[in-house]
Amino acid sequence: MAKRVAFAQLSSCWGCDQALVDLHFRLLDVLPDLEVVYWPAVVDYKLSDLKSLPDGSVHLGFVEGSCRTKEDVHILELMREKSRLLVAWGSCSCYGGVQGLANTWPLAQLVQRKFIKTETVTDSRVPEENVPGFVEYIIPNTDRVRFDIILPGCPPTSDNVYDAVVALLTGRPFDLPDTTVCDECPRERKEKRIKEFKRTYQGRPDPEKCLLDQGYLCLGFATIGFCGAQCPKANMPCKGCFGPPPSIRDHGAKIISALGAIADMSPEELENAFPDPVGSFYFTDYAASYIAKVSAGNSGDKGDGEDRR
Amino acid sequence: MTTAAQKSSAATKRRGRASAGGFEPRIVAFCCNWCSYAGADLAGTSRMQMPPNVRIIRVNCTGRIDPAFILEALYMGADGVLISGCHPGDCHYTSGNLRMRSRYVLLRGLLEQAGIDPRRVHLQWASAAEGDVFAEGVRMMVERIRALGPSPMRGRR
Repeated sequence: MAKRVAFAQLSSCWGCDQALVDLHFRLLDVLPDLEVVYWPAVVDYKLSDLKSLPDGSVHLGFVEGSCRTKEDVHILELMREKSRLLVAWGSCSCYGGVQGLANTWPLAQLVQRKFIKTETVTDSRVPEENVPGFVEYIIPNTDRVRFDIILPGCPPTSDNVYDAVVALLTGRPFDLPDTTVCDECPRERKEKRIKEFKRTYQGRPDPEKCLLDQGYLCLGFATIGFCGAQCPKANMPCKGCFGPPPSIRDHGAKIISALGAIADMSPEELENAFPDPVGSFYFTDYAASYIAKVSAGNSGDKGDGEDRR
Repeated sequence: MTTAAQKSSAATKRRGRASAGGFEPRIVAFCCNWCSYAGADLAGTSRMQMPPNVRIIRVNCTGRIDPAFILEALYMGADGVLISGCHPGDCHYTSGNLRMRSRYVLLRGLLEQAGIDPRRVHLQWASAAEGDVFAEGVRMMVERIRALGPSPMRGRR
């Protein structure tokens, strides 16, 4: 019997769907076993199609994206009701995603920047009619409803999605590895003594040697080894988009911990090396971090909400 | 570490202050075994007065403190976190305190950008012979946190 699957998209970039359709002909291996009942990203489904399904009637529910609007929250809750197994599909769904970085500003300021102070807009106004309205902060979907499977990645690779779907269809267990990107990276590593951190546009990285050894902030050491070290293999430092391995509770804290041990720099040099620590250390998982949770709703320390760094 | 007399006088003070201002800071202190924990012990055995708002956790070296410990303490409702270790050059393990200093610098930047006052986390050096330095550090920490007010996590978890 074919399994009924639903794919819901919240605030996101469609990249996870793209990774799925990038399976190309391999899709044909799994498609006969799937009965798609909701997939508005590729077919013209309406929300009423999802609403009309009986509760618990969807075998596999995939939720992509995070909750930035009240509609997102509504769809997320609906997906939980309808699905037997709910999959957090991609880093947005697992950790809040890049949108989580917006949590470093109050909502009012974000709306001002986006709709009023935009340089390219002449007749600026905040849309208020026929729109669902924003939620105050990005809270990871996993903190809003219960999920059965976490499938991180920005996006999860086509292989990740394929493996997960096949495992779920056949009833095999699907666990995330407790390894890091470094375990999958072919580069040559040495004892680390970093004297200076470089931005990616500075210099030309040696394709054979560890990027971190060369002074590029490659976050492979603190990031789950699930992507096949795609970026380091293409001579780009890891940005940590897959989030930390399951045993790590706070991605940025682990990165800072490691940097403290390998940086051979004065405190002042180190402080100046990272002008945007939140963006550098929590690319896709800021909303899931301790500091974001402490900071949320914190008006006392934030002052009057004026521009911060 | 504190004598019974100190405890009771501290309790009186706490009650007095609680009725006046209503806020008593809750501070977690990580002290390294070789310097600051011994320094805290010296402060106690020398009967130096210090506010009772600090809960000390002994670690072998400040280099053992994962920044996640500090963030989790804040998340669990600590109003401030004090880290106390050996002076640079005096570390029992040669460089653990310097690593902590590097982590502390990065952590402060992170807290500031996140909108949490970085003064809630403080790093100080106090040797085993400096009971007075430790006690003064605690006093200043409590004053700092008292001025900053309660943690934003209070009453939310």
